[in-house]
Amino acid sequence: MAWAASDRQDVAMAPATRTAPLILLSIAALASVLHDAGAAAYLAMPLWLWRVSASGRLLALGLGTPISRAAIGAGALIGSALGAHLLVAASMTLGYRPRVMEAAVARGVAYDLGAQVLATECFFRGALFNRAQRRWSFGAAAALSTAACLARYLIDPRLPGSAEILCGMVFYITLLSIANCWLFWRFGSLVPGMLSALMFFAAYRTIAE
Amino acid sequence: MSSRADGGWGTAIIVALAMITVLIAASGRGARSPARHAYVIPVIVAALRFGPTGGVVVSVGAALLYAPFVLPEIEWLGFTERGADGLASLTTVLLVGLLTGAVAQRSRRARGHYETALAVQRALAEARPLESILHQLRSTLRDGLRMTDVGLLVLEGDRALRCGPLSGADLLPECAAARFVPDAGGHPRPLRQLVVPLTARGETVGALSVERIGEIAAAEQAGIVTLAAHVGLALENARLASRQRRFADELAEKIADATRRSEEMDRAKSAFVATVSHELRTPLTALLGFGELLATRPFSSEEVHRLAGIVHRETERLVRIVDDLLDLSRVERGLPPTLRRTAVDVAPAVLSAVEMFRRQQLAHHFEIDCADGVGAIEADPDAVDRILKNLISNALKYSPPGLVTLRVRGVGHLIEFQIEDCGRGIPADALPRLFEPYYRAPHDAGAARGTGLGLAIVKSLVEAHGGSVSVATIVDTGTRVSFTIPRARVSPATARQRER
Repeated sequence: MAWAASDRQDVAMAPATRTAPLILLSIAALASVLHDAGAAAYLAMPLWLWRVSASGRLLALGLGTPISRAAIGAGALIGSALGAHLLVAASMTLGYRPRVMEAAVARGVAYDLGAQVLATECFFRGALFNRAQRRWSFGAAAALSTAACLARYLIDPRLPGSAEILCGMVFYITLLSIANCWLFWRFGSLVPGMLSALMFFAAYRTIAE
Repeated sequence: MSSRADGGWGTAIIVALAMITVLIAASGRGARSPARHAYVIPVIVAALRFGPTGGVVVSVGAALLYAPFVLPEIEWLGFTERGADGLASLTTVLLVGLLTGAVAQRSRRARGHYETALAVQRALAEARPLESILHQLRSTLRDGLRMTDVGLLVLEGDRALRCGPLSGADLLPECAAARFVPDAGGHPRPLRQLVVPLTARGETVGALSVERIGEIAAAEQAGIVTLAAHVGLALENARLASRQRRFADELAEKIADATRRSEEMDRAKSAFVATVSHELRTPLTALLGFGELLATRPFSSEEVHRLAGIVHRETERLVRIVDDLLDLSRVERGLPPTLRRTAVDVAPAVLSAVEMFRRQQLAHHFEIDCADGVGAIEADPDAVDRILKNLISNALKYSPPGLVTLRVRGVGHLIEFQIEDCGRGIPADALPRLFEPYYRAPHDAGAARGTGLGLAIVKSLVEAHGGSVSVATIVDTGTRVSFTIPRARVSPATARQRER
């Protein structure tokens, strides 16, 4: 996040601010391991992000500025469409049944909200895509960001090894990444992409085992 | 394209996709349903209406809707012919959306460029100042090319006309070819900028800078470079037309001025002919009358002496007029007056000229301020006498009875003469034309007799001596005419000895 927001020297983050997310995430990870309810500690991260954004140090990422309804609507629509499609396709092909009222789902959503989605969007869109699009075209920048994003998920040791899941992951992550690049390019803010990713991963958590 | 119409088309496309999906589901044949081919219709419509982005988005939407019918078959049955058929249908829909959108966008962009080029030609064809045209051109290009902003720089001689943002175009002298800046900065989103030199006849005549928050694809950049070539040529044509109009206006103004001067000259010549006729007729009438009297009547010797004096004066006047006319003739032919130069003592020459007017017992009185030993001038004595008498005569004619002052002083290698009266002065607008032949200041034309040749002849005589003449006047206070003539290199006595 510090790298993503470091375009402007005058709003560079202090070392204490940079290390705060690491400390918060470590505490949240430890808390979630100790108890299911400990995952709620991940919610400290969005609060910290909101506080830093309010100080105007994340303007380069479009955080801390008013977001249009169209941006929110587009992010929600894309995320919910992809999530719904994932649920339908998974249930029709692999026979997965969504589980909503389970502690694992809530823990996963909290993790996505506090760590996974924030970090992914800040790095792949806010830092990588944002820098690339200022040097190259949208297509090249989106391709780079998507390739890097796919690589990140492919090397995840917890990824199930079946070909169907691998193909599905590549398919949905590619679409989600391109869509989020477009959202950031179109609206100049990470918020619609975060919303889109959050909605998609929330759907994913209901079928993840 | 209005947003309401776009919304209507978008809704219709979404409804069509949903209906096709329902038809496939209702057919019971899954991925093999013939209705799957209908997906290309909303995809093509979207691509034609919204370009490649619309085509890709709708084709991806169609693929997502169709995928749940294809993927389970592959999952359950493996990669069979049915599965391959379904995947081919998915791929076809995606490709159709992408290609149709690209073709539609290219066609739309080409039409836009032609329309913009036409609008540019129309804007530049108007007979208006270049600055005003540039503002309209900027607006035309911004709307036609759908840019966030457009800047124009036009080199017009030594100056550069600027219109709009020119952060990139300011670097034009180092930029001989088009230059693309992926992010010009200053915005949260990347601001693409393309700076293209405007050329005409192989020379850079300006620069066009286009900026967009969004993409400027390579094909569009090539189109803008081509458009810039048209703009450069049209700009050069407009500039030439503007220059031609300016020249035509200047020419018309010069012709009008020349016509006016010619008419004035014509009127002055007519007036001159009338004046000269009158001037010649007066002494001739006197000569005729007194000659007839002397021939037909007996007079006493004293009376004969008086009448002979009158005849002599009128003859002198006649000779003076004829001399003026001859001098004028030489001046008009561009020939200098004929001069017999010798060393002329200034003081006696001035006294002699003044004495002639004193003898006429006029109401004016003279003051002569001639420094002792002022010296001699290198001049024709007759010419000097004519210059002085002409100027003194003018001072007497155009001033009420009063003082006429003559000053003579040495100024370096020149001797300056000043004749000053206390008359009405000369209006400022008449001063530049005072030494023109036939010209008489409007307020003097009826005030005194004269041919309008005196000052023109004075000027030609003074300049022929290597001097200069000038007039200083204050209305209602008086006029001072000054002229200079170079000093003599030898004394008059030495000159006389040499002549002998």
